[in-house]
Amino acid sequence: MSKTRPADYPRAAAATLRDTPEVRDAVTAATRTFDTHRRESWAQIDADRWRDWCRDVKEHVLTHLDDFLEQAETSLVANGVTVHWAERAEDALGILEHIVDAGRVRRVVKAKSMLTEELGVNAFLEGRGVHVRETDLGEYIIQLLGEPPSHIVGPAIHRSVDDCRRLFHDHFGTPLDATPEALAATARQALREEFLAADMGISGCNFLVAETGTLALIENEGNIRLSTSAPRVHVAFVGIEKLLPGMADLSGFLQITARAATGQPIGNYVSLIRGPRGSAESDGPEEVHVVLVDNGRTTLLADDVAREALRCVRCGACLNICPVYRQTGGHPYGFTYSGPIGAILAPALLGLEEAMPLPFASSLCGACADVCPVRIPIPDILLHWRERAVEAGLTPFVERMGVRAFGAAAGRPSTFSLAGGLLRYVPWALGGRALPVLGGWSAERTPPELSREPFHKHWKEGIE
Amino acid sequence: MSAARDRILGRVRSAVLGRTGADHPGAFHGWRPAPSSPDPVAGFTEVFTSAGGEVVHVAGMDLAAAWVRDFAASFAGVSLGVLLPDDFVPELSLAPAETAALGVSMATGAVAETGSLVLDARDGRRVQLLPPTHIVLVRRADVYATLAQALEVVSRDPPSAVGLHSGPSKSADIGQILVKGVHGPGRVIAVVVE
Repeated sequence: MSKTRPADYPRAAAATLRDTPEVRDAVTAATRTFDTHRRESWAQIDADRWRDWCRDVKEHVLTHLDDFLEQAETSLVANGVTVHWAERAEDALGILEHIVDAGRVRRVVKAKSMLTEELGVNAFLEGRGVHVRETDLGEYIIQLLGEPPSHIVGPAIHRSVDDCRRLFHDHFGTPLDATPEALAATARQALREEFLAADMGISGCNFLVAETGTLALIENEGNIRLSTSAPRVHVAFVGIEKLLPGMADLSGFLQITARAATGQPIGNYVSLIRGPRGSAESDGPEEVHVVLVDNGRTTLLADDVAREALRCVRCGACLNICPVYRQTGGHPYGFTYSGPIGAILAPALLGLEEAMPLPFASSLCGACADVCPVRIPIPDILLHWRERAVEAGLTPFVERMGVRAFGAAAGRPSTFSLAGGLLRYVPWALGGRALPVLGGWSAERTPPELSREPFHKHWKEGIE
Repeated sequence: MSAARDRILGRVRSAVLGRTGADHPGAFHGWRPAPSSPDPVAGFTEVFTSAGGEVVHVAGMDLAAAWVRDFAASFAGVSLGVLLPDDFVPELSLAPAETAALGVSMATGAVAETGSLVLDARDGRRVQLLPPTHIVLVRRADVYATLAQALEVVSRDPPSAVGLHSGPSKSADIGQILVKGVHGPGRVIAVVVE
C-alpha cells in the first residue's frame, strides 16, 4: 500500500471505490464532521479578516524568507539548539543518523509529523535497527496496520471503529466489542512505557518564530508534549517555509489553524519550545536539534504562480471540503500530502513528471480556495501545473490529439459547424464507444436524444 | 556554516530577488464580536469548560490548599509542581509524576480568548502530563484576555518550554468518537485563586 505512486492514482482510486466501499463512507463522514466544525467555528469570528491577515503575514515572510531563516538560526543557536540544514530527504536522514549514532539512540518516540512522512524517517530508522514508535493514536493505528496516513490531520479516518477493534484484538487481545475508551486506554498504557523508555523524541513543527527561536507544535492528545519532554534528545524537522516573524504573529496562527482544522479555538495542547532543559528545570531534553528542510520547497518558492502554496499551514480544510478527496481518502494519491494541497505541492516536491496525474485529480470546483485559511488559490495553481504538464507533453496521447483536433475545428466557424454536424451522426445508441475517450464514462450512462438541428442555427434564428 | 545552508539560502535569495517585498499587515486583533463579559476570568471559564475542562474559584492561596487537600483525599499519591507557592502546604501523600494519580501545578497565566492555561517547564513537565487528573492553580491577576498578551508576558523570561493546556487530553482517531485522557490527563481542573 505504501508503494502507491501518483501515476497509480486512477487505478488505485478505482480499486478503493470498488474493493473497499466502506472507506468512502468513513472518509466522507469524517471530513463532513471536520468541515462542519470549521464552519461553525468561523461563524464566531470575522473569518475573512483573519484569513486576509494570515495570508499577508505569510506573504511578508515568504518575500523575506532569507532574512527570517538567518534570524531564526541565530535565535535557535542562542537558545542552545543545534541547527542543521538539509537540501534533500537523504540529507535530512543522514543528519538524523549522525545524531542517532552520536547519542547511542536505540528507542525513538514520534510526534505526528507530515514532514517526517515526506522524508521517510520511520523506514530509515527501522532499517538501522532503531525501535520507532508513533504516538499519536491515529498514527499508532496506521503504524500497526502498516499503512501511510490518509489525511493530514486525521491519519486513520479511513478506518472504522470495527477495524480498530480487530486490530487491537490481534495485537493486545482486547475483546472484539471493546469500547473506543477501552482501546484508547490500552494504547495509553502501551505508549506510556514507550515515552518513558525512549532515548529520542522526533517531531515536526507547525511554526518557527524567527525572533525568539520558538518551535510551536499543535495537538490534542498530549503525545507531542510527552515526545518532546520525556526523552533526553529532541529532533524537530522543520520545513523552511514554517517561519513566523514574532510571538504576536504566532497568537493568530495558532488560533486560525485550529479553527480551520477541527473548529477548536486552539489545539488542546500547544508546545512552545525554545531549547534544551534549563538549569532551573527538573526535566526536559538535554539536547534539541532543529533540521531545516528544503526538499523541493525552494523550487516552489521560485515558481511565480505555485509559490503561494508555501503559505499552507497543513490544516486539512481543503481535503475536508474536496468532493474528489472525499470519495477515496488520501491513499490513492500516492503522495504524503493528498487532496487539493497535495496536488499542488507534488509537482514541486516530487517533480512534475513523477507527480502526474495529481494536478488533474480535481474537478476545479473551487471549494478548496473558499475554505483555505491562508487563501491559497488552489484551482489557479492546479491549472498552472496542468499547463506545465501539457507543455512538457505529460498528458495522455488521446487527450492531446483530442484537444489538438478540437483546437483545429474550433479555430474557424466553418470547420466548427461541420464538426458539430458530423457529431450528430455518431452512433450514441451503441454506448458512444465510437469515441474512445468517452468509453468509460458512457458505459454506465444512456445518452440523450440529440436535437436534429444545431444550436447555432437556433441562435441565428433567435431562441424563444 | 555548512555548504547545504549556503546553497539553500542562495536558492531562497534568488527566488525572492526581484519580487516586491510584501509588508507585514500589523498586529493580530482576533477580530470577532465582543465577549459577553469583559472579565477575562469569565471568558476563560466559558471557553475552558466548553472544551471539557473544569473551573473552581477560591478566595486565597490558603483556601486553594484546603480545596486541593479535600479533593486529593481519594487519590493514591499526588505529584506537585515546583512553582507552587510556599504558602501552598497541602499535607498530601506525595508520589513521583510517573505513578501519581493526581498532579498539581501552578500556571504562570491563563487566556480568555482560547481557554488556555500557561504551564512553564520550570514547574516540571512530567507533573503536567503524566498523572490522569491534573489540578492547575492560576492567580486571577494572571488571566489575560488575549493569547497575544499572555505570550508577550511569557516572552519576558521564557523557560525552555511552555505548554498551553486548553482542556483534557482528547482524541477522535478511533472512528471519530471522542475519547478523553489518551496520553495527557483525562480530567483537568483550573483553580482560579482570587
